Amino acid sequence: MLFRKMLRDMSRHKTQFLSIFIMAFLAVYIYSGVGGEWLGLRKSADNYYDKTNLADVFLYGSGFSEEDSEAVRNTDHVTAVERRLEIDASAKLDGTPNITLFFVEKNEISSLYLVEGKNFDLNDTEGIWIDKRFADARELSVGGTMEAVYNGFTIEKEIRGLIYSGEYVFDSGGSEMTPDFYTHGYAVLSYKAFPSYDLPVYNTLLVTADESDITRLEESIDHALSGGYSVFLTQENHASVNTFNSEILQHKMMGDIFPVVFFLIALLTMLTTMTRIVTNQRTQIGTLKALGFKKGKIMRHYISYGFWLSLAGALLGIITGPLTLPHLFYPSMSSFYTLPEWTPAFDISFILAAAILAATCTFVTYLACRKLLRDMPAITLRPKAPKVTTHSALEKTRLWSRFGFNTQWNFRDARRNKIRSIMAIIGVFGCTALLVCAFGMNDTMGDLKEWQYNILYQFESKLSIEDTADAEQINKLTDELNGELLMEGAVEIKGSGEKKTGTLTVSDNVTLIKFTDDNRNFIELPEDGVMLTSKMAEILDVSLGDEIRWHIYGNEEWVSTTITAINRDPTSQGITLTKNYLEELGFDFTPTSILTSEMASGKYDGVTSILSISEIVTGWDDFTEAMMLMVYILIAAATILSVVVLYNLGLLSFTEMEREMATLKVMGLKSGKLRSLLLTQNIWFSIIGFVLGIPAGIWLVDIICSSSGESYDFPIKLHLLNLLMSFCITFGLSVFVNLLFSRKIKRLNMVEALKDAE
Amino acid sequence: MKQTIIEFKNVVKEYHIGAGKMKAVDNISFAIDQGEFVVILGPSGAGKSTVLNLLGGMDFATGGEIIVNGKNIVGLMDDALTEYRAENIGFVFQFYNLIPTLTAVENIAVTRNIVRNPMEPKEVLASVGLSGHENKFPTQLSGGEQQRVSIARAIAKNPTMLLCDEPTGALDSETGIVILTLLQKMSRQNGKTIIIVTHNSALAEAADKVIRIKNGKIRETIINENPKKISEVNW
Repeated sequence: MLFRKMLRDMSRHKTQFLSIFIMAFLAVYIYSGVGGEWLGLRKSADNYYDKTNLADVFLYGSGFSEEDSEAVRNTDHVTAVERRLEIDASAKLDGTPNITLFFVEKNEISSLYLVEGKNFDLNDTEGIWIDKRFADARELSVGGTMEAVYNGFTIEKEIRGLIYSGEYVFDSGGSEMTPDFYTHGYAVLSYKAFPSYDLPVYNTLLVTADESDITRLEESIDHALSGGYSVFLTQENHASVNTFNSEILQHKMMGDIFPVVFFLIALLTMLTTMTRIVTNQRTQIGTLKALGFKKGKIMRHYISYGFWLSLAGALLGIITGPLTLPHLFYPSMSSFYTLPEWTPAFDISFILAAAILAATCTFVTYLACRKLLRDMPAITLRPKAPKVTTHSALEKTRLWSRFGFNTQWNFRDARRNKIRSIMAIIGVFGCTALLVCAFGMNDTMGDLKEWQYNILYQFESKLSIEDTADAEQINKLTDELNGELLMEGAVEIKGSGEKKTGTLTVSDNVTLIKFTDDNRNFIELPEDGVMLTSKMAEILDVSLGDEIRWHIYGNEEWVSTTITAINRDPTSQGITLTKNYLEELGFDFTPTSILTSEMASGKYDGVTSILSISEIVTGWDDFTEAMMLMVYILIAAATILSVVVLYNLGLLSFTEMEREMATLKVMGLKSGKLRSLLLTQNIWFSIIGFVLGIPAGIWLVDIICSSSGESYDFPIKLHLLNLLMSFCITFGLSVFVNLLFSRKIKRLNMVEALKDAE
Repeated sequence: MKQTIIEFKNVVKEYHIGAGKMKAVDNISFAIDQGEFVVILGPSGAGKSTVLNLLGGMDFATGGEIIVNGKNIVGLMDDALTEYRAENIGFVFQFYNLIPTLTAVENIAVTRNIVRNPMEPKEVLASVGLSGHENKFPTQLSGGEQQRVSIARAIAKNPTMLLCDEPTGALDSETGIVILTLLQKMSRQNGKTIIIVTHNSALAEAADKVIRIKNGKIRETIINENPKKISEVNW
């Protein structure tokens, strides 16, 4: 019977209970949905790395012998070593795309992941296993042939299988953000398929180890090889692993923070609603007690309200979250990342979160009921003594009497209903924080895009030069396109201790890429010395005028140069220098791309791909799609949140003040004045919540941005217009909800409202 | 000859209960003069409160005319009724209905938001004998004191009439006498028209006019030529 009473009570207070349900649902939905999403990525990736035995350390050098391999193998904590030759070739296909060929010694470490075709066979000298995404883009299939050219050699092999690789979860294919599977790919062959009578000269050592102290591991490997290598790259710092990890971390961050807001709102709604219901049912409780119901039974009855509701909301969230949200993200992510499987994960922590939510809601219900149930039935049967109002400090000041009735009334009412007030402020605060975060993300990303692609990049087209192109071809191209030559690569930089990987940019009087300082003023590339990006300078703990040591990837020769300028770059961190200075240092200038302000299209000899600036921008947009999706979800959540909270609050204050409202109406106060009475409080809370919400929102943006990875360095932006927009949305909703109540004021039945004091 | 300020002409109030109808007020007619101290008597459910609510513009009549100061208020819409209440009616409720978040003097000052020239809150409070209690909240006052604040709030607007619905219903008899004495004084000294709804027939002896209602109809109207003072009434 009491269960039926509960259901009837719930339907009588459906708005409040619905909002508790929605908040409990949203909290768990987002937590488990986003959780299932990132955890699914994490698990899929880990599983994938495990299955393919991804190397823990990648050593690059000019040649590793059998003895080198053995020496590293005998180092403490190293569990396995395998040699590999990595060469950049070009495929004999339309536009001569880049294809990285891997000649492997054993295929035991960083082994290929077969998607289609035959298993890899070390004795197969005529077969090649190629990147499935490249194959798809080029419509290549198993059984076909593949021709690649490098250093004058032509390799022609039969495609035995289509593969994925753990090193290519994220593949930017060079300097651009977006992977373009049409212009580059990779392929794996047995070392026996190497087109020479000699064995290949292995330039990579793949190492697996059971040591987590990387510095110590590097020291001992360095010792074993007596320095005979150029790059020591850990799995964590591998571009693919690193980028994917940052992405996952970013999603985790959002999934962890936002549910907290909904959780809090669910609790506060629960507290206010239950307090009200229990107070309203005071005499009923007294009657139940007088009838002989045990206290525990009545308590359980009221507690079950909170328990069932939050449990139902949490259960719905836990079921629908992991089923729906991940599938919203995965499609857009799969155009950037390559994983053999995209499966949302389920974690025990989701159940734990749901359980904590239900338990806390139940506990809050208990707090709301406890006091009333402690009293004797005789006391409970009597109407409740009204809450005592006291004078606050403000009222003792002279200012108080200057306030109008509206202000005085609202101030006291807010003080008297502290929980209700706090709930309103937190609701608006949460809404504002989410909106500011969403708009902030939007503006920050927009600003970054503008800076990178409109201010720094002034070229119209960027042509990638084939490795095999000769000077004559390049000269012809530059003349034809009125182009400028750029060399891009990677360097390892050492500052006052730490060693970091960065980008290398060498400019041959390039004018189509600009450099800016911290304040985004244009600066010139100095003739001598190197220009370092400000974030890299910070990481290396060096400043203008200091010396840094660096070497180009693939070349073991370290050089020492002075930092003659510091620039700020939003998307890549490293050094920039002039062609002349590079040659002064004794290195060759080997241009990797041609920049031109003309719209280049069609075919050019010696060019692997042409990217127009609009294609690059489109790539960036695609890259940020997942992020933007998150932003839209946030805006939607913020809207639901504020409508639910404000409506609830309005309803709550309206019912609590119905009698006062009726009295005032009977006395002759016009509906308009009554409305403004209600609106005033709403506006106060909205303003407080809004003001507090702005820094919180910016803080959220900061957290999300700082998890975007080491190569990014951009400031947070929030346009005034969008701040205004957040303000308008928050207040629009607030006023909208209030309008819903003005209809109630008009219809307020004075006779009914004043009938009795119960 | 006293001036008639309130006139009920064949007033009907019907309530719909399910498919059927219930006449709470069934064809009632009466008149009240300026400054009269009127008691409407009847058992509970007789329809006396409905009469008061109709006169107070808190409810719509189904038929008939209610003429106050020469103006028919039947058929007025919500806003017009609000204005009518603001100018003409001072209500005193059984449960006082003070605003709990406002002090005694502030509860009275609320009238500033309703009419243009209300009486000075402190003075009105003094006139009901509550000087020195200005800054107390309703919860810090006794029931009788709260009812006095409520009366002060009602007269501060300087309304045409005071309507009191069981004003002593929630009070002990001694405090009730104090309140009724105050109300009678208002009528005698200030010439206020005061209408009290009650089921306590003892009060009839003190009224200028007694209207007895039963089952929605007027049973009788008595005019006392020599009404007793409240203190002389045999309770």
